[in-house]
Amino acid sequence: MVDTVSALGLTIVIPTKDLAGMLQYCLEHLQRALKVASQFEPCVVVVDNATEIPLLEKDLPSSSSPVHLIRFDIPASFAEANNTAIRRYPNAYYLLLNNNVLLAESALADMQRLLEESPNAGLCGTRLISPDGTIQHAGIVFGPGDIGPYHVSRGQPSALVSRLNGEFQAVTGACLLIRQSAWDDLGGLSGEFAFGLDDIDFCLRARQKGWRVCCSCRTDSLHCESMTRGSDKPDKRARRVFMNTWRGRYAIDGQG
Amino acid sequence: MKLSCIIHTRNSDETLDKALDSVAWADEIIVVDMESTDSTRAIAAKYTQRILSTPIVPRVDGIRQQFLAEARHDWIFVLDSDEYLAADAQANVTTLLEQYGTRYDAFAIPRFNSIAGQIMRGSGWYPAPQIRLFRKGTVRWPDANHQLPEVITGRLLELEPPACLHIHHRNYEDLRHFIRKQLDYALNDRYEPDPATFDFSSYIARAYQNLATHQDTKHDGDLSHALATVMAWDAVMRGLIHWDSLSPKPPLAMLTGLPVAAGNVPLWRIRFKKWLGSRRSTRFVLHSVMYRMGWLSRGVRKTLSR
Repeated sequence: MVDTVSALGLTIVIPTKDLAGMLQYCLEHLQRALKVASQFEPCVVVVDNATEIPLLEKDLPSSSSPVHLIRFDIPASFAEANNTAIRRYPNAYYLLLNNNVLLAESALADMQRLLEESPNAGLCGTRLISPDGTIQHAGIVFGPGDIGPYHVSRGQPSALVSRLNGEFQAVTGACLLIRQSAWDDLGGLSGEFAFGLDDIDFCLRARQKGWRVCCSCRTDSLHCESMTRGSDKPDKRARRVFMNTWRGRYAIDGQG
Repeated sequence: MKLSCIIHTRNSDETLDKALDSVAWADEIIVVDMESTDSTRAIAAKYTQRILSTPIVPRVDGIRQQFLAEARHDWIFVLDSDEYLAADAQANVTTLLEQYGTRYDAFAIPRFNSIAGQIMRGSGWYPAPQIRLFRKGTVRWPDANHQLPEVITGRLLELEPPACLHIHHRNYEDLRHFIRKQLDYALNDRYEPDPATFDFSSYIARAYQNLATHQDTKHDGDLSHALATVMAWDAVMRGLIHWDSLSPKPPLAMLTGLPVAAGNVPLWRIRFKKWLGSRRSTRFVLHSVMYRMGWLSRGVRKTLSR
């Protein structure tokens, strides 16, 4: 348990299942990014989400700070994994990080700067690319009708997409920096979205409470997205649950 | 349904915090301490007021049995001080009791054992179900060391890995620790006092069997060789310790015992044991059938209906 919350304490939550090799590189890149973002006092929490052979603390690389491990025996939802970790290790900032994201060196520092510049920005995502060099995430926009939320510029070569930091209705939870006051305001991720899209729900709820959501686009971090789910098709059930809740309650800022 | 958790300790200050933290959600925590001289009691006091004392005894299972009566609630979880539960244990236990609590009295929970910094996956080590969650009064431990208790009613549900409640056990830091503990258990075990029943070759046979059934390099690598060798050695040592405790001493007949014993373990039995490795529940199913057919201890039934 973290007893005192320092002004720049950062809890990094990495839920992981069965990708032990990937996790090692994820943690190594995280350590590098933390070195650049040295203003933070980091607390790394790995949530072992029912990995077949449980992870052991001693097998996780940790250069500066100790890595805490939380074990689930039965796979928990993304929301539950993150909420449990954050309940245990409260801090001034939270970073939700997927185990298949390799952070760019200055990604974390850039995200923090964005939040610092505008006090009413509560959440900040970052630009992610796929292994083939195309955009995986650079903000999420919403199309009309049944289209709903989708990743803007997805599949375009990264070099062709503007590096201007942007403001969006939603960003991905694969790598998401959150201010504690925003997290507490919303009571964490919602467990209703058991099949996904809980990150978008989180962003939309944040905006309802007056928090701005931004995306740092200066750097490209690598996101090996399809590795975890085995497919990069969005889950149909997730979409149905999401649309039932949110249809008509977001602005249409995407294409028809 | 309310739950009492009983934790047995003896100089456990290194691991106890984690164990207690993982069951802090229980409705009642009872720590049964065996004359600890370190900070065990101070750590326990952070989590519970019910710290009971017991003198040091060589066999822990008898103590487990004795202190079951202290539980105030219907369901009991028995945890060792070097074990812990996962973060979702509360939800999983609650679900188990809600779903199966009326049909079963006890649950066999698979356990992850970590030996010399490695989590064991091979035969004999995993899932190695432990009967630790049960209704008060339905389970009886023999006076031994780390044996499975008897489920008096036979209504035992064995949980199916992988996605189920587990016990996480940090057993042994290294091989030396393992050898020391094995020898400790062997020296303190109870042995049949009648010299007429002593047969050294049966110990040798068990040594062969241990060697054959505990080797699983596919899952555990070289460590499984090492552990299987220790287990075989353990069987032989137990034979000698048993012999040493008898009076008058029967003949050891070791030289003739060796080859005879090897023949006593036919290959099919080893294969069967290996196959059975992950299917131990067969035994409990049999137990349950026998109970229902009325072949099993009528006295026990009476006790239950009372």
